[in-house]
Amino acid sequence: MIEVRHLTKRYGDRVAVRDLSFDVARGEVVGFLGPNGAGKSTTLRMLTGFLEPSEGEIKVAGFDARRQPLELKRSIGYMPEAVPLYLDMRVVEYLRFRAALKGVPRREIDKNVDRALELASVADVKTRIIGQLSKGYRQRVGLADALVADPPLLILDEPTAGLDPNQIRQVRDLVRTLAKEKTVLLSTHILPEVEAICARVVIIDRGQLKFTGRPDELRGGSVIALEARADAEKLRAALAGLEGVGAVSIEAGEVQKARIEVTGEVDACAERVFRAVANAGIDLRELRRADTSLEDVFTRLTTQEAQS
Amino acid sequence: MKALVIARREIESYFLSPIAYVVSVVWLVWCGLQFYLLAGVFASAPSLSASANPLSAFFGGSVLFFIPLLVFAPVLTMRLLAEERHTGTLETLLTAPVTSADVVLGKYFAALVFWVCLWLPTGMYVWITSQFGRIDGGAVLSSYLGVFGIGLYYMAIGLAMSALAKNQIISALLTFMLLSGLFAVGLLSFVDTFAEQRDVIDYISLWGHMQAFSKGIVDTRFLVYDVSLAGLFVYLAWRALDGRRQS
Repeated sequence: MIEVRHLTKRYGDRVAVRDLSFDVARGEVVGFLGPNGAGKSTTLRMLTGFLEPSEGEIKVAGFDARRQPLELKRSIGYMPEAVPLYLDMRVVEYLRFRAALKGVPRREIDKNVDRALELASVADVKTRIIGQLSKGYRQRVGLADALVADPPLLILDEPTAGLDPNQIRQVRDLVRTLAKEKTVLLSTHILPEVEAICARVVIIDRGQLKFTGRPDELRGGSVIALEARADAEKLRAALAGLEGVGAVSIEAGEVQKARIEVTGEVDACAERVFRAVANAGIDLRELRRADTSLEDVFTRLTTQEAQS
Repeated sequence: MKALVIARREIESYFLSPIAYVVSVVWLVWCGLQFYLLAGVFASAPSLSASANPLSAFFGGSVLFFIPLLVFAPVLTMRLLAEERHTGTLETLLTAPVTSADVVLGKYFAALVFWVCLWLPTGMYVWITSQFGRIDGGAVLSSYLGVFGIGLYYMAIGLAMSALAKNQIISALLTFMLLSGLFAVGLLSFVDTFAEQRDVIDYISLWGHMQAFSKGIVDTRFLVYDVSLAGLFVYLAWRALDGRRQS
């Protein structure tokens, strides 16, 4: 659905995107990740025809960005980062305008607008003026706009930025529903979000490709953290030789805080750790799966590269 | 036609904003005053009526009459593209399946509609004058054609500045400066030092332009001037908008 080859974007001397190549297959839901300023929005703006690449090729749904810009744009439903909208229009007027602009035949405009209102759950505010809506509603009006011409590909730039947890869940549910019939490329910097929705991730940093693969490969194995009141040697002995337990690092102190790298399946391993620690007569205070943050992942990816 | 879809939204949004009404009211008060004074002059000096009437004087008699337009034209056009860029809606607009030419033409068409709406109410002066004397229908039509010709390039200059400027204020200022510059060149026609260049000056100036049209003379040289200036600036707006994709 998307083919990007050797994409480069220069602003004067500054290189925002450097020799970036990746693909998104039809029907995939791909997370586009990177720290702030990595070039995510610039890349998405080139994909959607808003910016012209300095070098490289872009094909969306088989249409070349340079030669067939209109066909390319017609196959994309795009929601830009800050969700810019005409604040003086009513929701339904705005969507009708967008549908007409996107070439939806006049007779089908009402039908398409109704469907988009329904999908993005903004039907209840359709006669309200956009400027008076909350951030969460505006975000979903932006989504409704992306959906109104029923394009095969959705490109969403930070679709959950600035939303409260409830709204984030709604947007994720919506994306999951849409993913059944559409290809989705969404940018984000929240790792759990990617794991919740995306089958594959593309990570860029400073305009260059760092990683592409399944989101669970990112964590590089799971980690169990535990906290216990016992001396370090005793704890280490209790954990030694357990199936699925890899490297154990213990941060000594009044209580021992251990981080256990799990080689196998994490839940079963946690149970074994619990039993082993309890059998050794150690009082366990905490046992949990440790989160890997996206920052950890970025750090690891960049240090890996430095080592290799 | 995508340009028409864009124009329609622009016009609707314009009439939802207070700017439209402020500009229209001020302009109408100014025109009303002008017409009232002219009608007074003609009423007190019947001999004048042989060669002119309040209507022809209204359209061509006083170039100072156009001074408020140097402010109103920038106000009408400043939002066109500068606001879209400022609020970011340019991104949603240009990522829809439209070309930059569609956007520029749509905006230009909307601006021309604003211009026409500004002048529509002056039609009542035609009616009033016709109630008290004979009016020359051809001269009225050519007067409006002249006014439209001026609108063609006034709105094009405003559109181009709106495409170039970072925000509405700068857009309005640039437009004001350019229009005032053209206007000032026209005023040189009254300065004796420039007597030799008067032909050229009259060609550029609003004064010469409206003098001819208000008498019912459709001078195609003026129309060529209007259309070429308009074309130049609409082209400039298009290049400015399209060039933005590089940066």
